[in-house]
Amino acid sequence: MMSLPFLGVVIAFVLAAARARAAAVIVLLASVVVTLVLFRLHATDVLTIDL
Amino acid sequence: MSETLARQLNALGLFAICAVLLAAFVDQFLFGELPCPLCILQRAGFALAGAGLALNLLAGIRPAHYGLAILGAVAGGAVSLRQIALHMVPGTGAYGEAILGLHLYSWAFLIFGAIVAGTALMLLSSRQFTPEFALDGTRPPGRLLPALALGLFALLVLANALSTLAECGVGLCPDDPHGYRGIDVLRDLLAAGAERG
Repeated sequence: MMSLPFLGVVIAFVLAAARARAAAVIVLLASVVVTLVLFRLHATDVLTIDL
Repeated sequence: MSETLARQLNALGLFAICAVLLAAFVDQFLFGELPCPLCILQRAGFALAGAGLALNLLAGIRPAHYGLAILGAVAGGAVSLRQIALHMVPGTGAYGEAILGLHLYSWAFLIFGAIVAGTALMLLSSRQFTPEFALDGTRPPGRLLPALALGLFALLVLANALSTLAECGVGLCPDDPHGYRGIDVLRDLLAAGAERG
């Protein structure tokens, strides 16, 4: 699952090389979202800092 | 700024991101420091930021591609900021060895900031968005640097996908990884298959 952002970049790379620019942009946007979701799943500890 | 100059600058930016991903691999394989889940997500942030620049080289220079690079850098920067916050209180320890006085996540945060600033600077010029070569069918000059940058970037992103799969398997990574779990799972599956066969 942690490989998904990298695989998304690879797929976007292939799509862009195949002149499917819009699809590449959509895949990259989805990869950013996936990265943020994975970040949320891993950021579980409460930080003991006073902001 | 002409389209040709912008392409060369995008290629140099992509080389810089490749250098960061290469340095992470050196730390992983030469110095034996397994990347933690947040470290992997920071690598993903660099890959996403680089993908925006790669799209500029593959599909023509567009503001949307710079926007994607900024989004990737902001996502990666958020992850590195979280990791800095985890370790900033004295006595809470750190992850990995410091390099030139800063830990890798602190360096990552600074580099993500530099990517956002550099991309914003690139966006200040609008002449680059007018294609110089597509209309008359001729190919742009100076294609070697972009081609090399694209090839190296594609290899490094693919290597990161495989390395992450080897370390974490198909699920989430443990917070403090001690080995290549994906390889262990694959080895167990192969052994179980051999026993049945």
